[in-house]
Amino acid sequence: MLGDSRKAQEIFHATLREAAGRAARGDLPEEDFWLFRDARWRCLEATKSDLQPESIEMDERDVAPDSESQVQHLDPLQLAIWISAAPDPQRSALALFYLDEFDYQEILDIAELKLSELSRLLATGRRQLQAWLDSKFPQPNKV
Amino acid sequence: MKLLSSMRRQRALLNCAPITARQLADRRMRSAVSRADNSAEFVDQQNFDRALARLVRLISIPAESAEWFSEKDLVPASKRTWKSMVRNPAVLAISTAVVVIAGVFVFNFVSHLNDFPGSATARKLLGVAGSTRSVMLDPVNAEAGTLSDLFFMKHGLEHYDIPEEFADFDTIGCRVFEDDESRRIAQIWLSEKRMQLFLFPAERDSKSGAVLQFPGWRYVHQEGWTGAVTEHSGVCFMAAIRGGEKDLAPYLTPPKE
Repeated sequence: MLGDSRKAQEIFHATLREAAGRAARGDLPEEDFWLFRDARWRCLEATKSDLQPESIEMDERDVAPDSESQVQHLDPLQLAIWISAAPDPQRSALALFYLDEFDYQEILDIAELKLSELSRLLATGRRQLQAWLDSKFPQPNKV
Repeated sequence: MKLLSSMRRQRALLNCAPITARQLADRRMRSAVSRADNSAEFVDQQNFDRALARLVRLISIPAESAEWFSEKDLVPASKRTWKSMVRNPAVLAISTAVVVIAGVFVFNFVSHLNDFPGSATARKLLGVAGSTRSVMLDPVNAEAGTLSDLFFMKHGLEHYDIPEEFADFDTIGCRVFEDDESRRIAQIWLSEKRMQLFLFPAERDSKSGAVLQFPGWRYVHQEGWTGAVTEHSGVCFMAAIRGGEKDLAPYLTPPKE
């Protein structure tokens, strides 16, 4: 979400501290995933003051059958930075989806999205990621 | 139109298809995935997603953050207060039931604390005393003590004697009747505070047939009536009055010489 491990850690600690405090006071919210929603808002708040990426038309490509090998060349940090540079709510959708911890209904709940929106954000995200991978690790058989 | 919308929805679901099968709990998602399982486009998408998820898993968690999860008491369990426990409907229901059961036990224990042989019959007769009208009795104007002879001669009731504490009181009427266990009961109505006297067979041991004796006077209470019971020669005598023990007590003290 942030592309910055120091900031991420600060937000992680702040979120857990808040949760521990609430638990001690016995006023934990009853709704599901409030902790993740809280963490997401803290991340969005933290990046509000940062330099915002210019909104540019990004290239898109269909997901390639051999994309797996391209991903293998990628450094995890590069992927984290790429996702954190995406505009929200695409950033939230991609981060939550690729954590592989939540199903789509849970993501809809946490990121406060509709199914059609989440679907569009993920599909576009995949195509943009593929285009980025193609530019970074060009496949020899592709022209 | 409906078909188009259904296809659009299926496409939307496929774009959100879970990376691992363990998240296929949703029925609509399962159905969409099973329909698209063999399409090359969906297979590519799944391979792409799996590769990215594997990469995400390589991101190491900083030691400081990992520490949070090694602590056993990350989130201290909120202490249950007495108030919150008492407000719990289950606790409330069980406590009420326990209190009611305990109340019944205590009531039974206390009410049987002063039980004596014949106390059950005595209580029944207090109920009879409460419902008896003077017209139900044969009018007899005599001293209560003299009715023992009447009971013996007319009804063949032996030892149906009136104790000396009540022998001198004038009577309004008397009768002999059988209770629901066919025991013969003598009932006398006194003019003194509209008191009623009962004579009935004392309880006997079911095996030996011996009379179950008890010393002195014993009190029983029923529906606002109080009875003082004593046993003599296998016959119980009960003086019944509407009121409490204090109303009967003065009659039970032996007369001063």
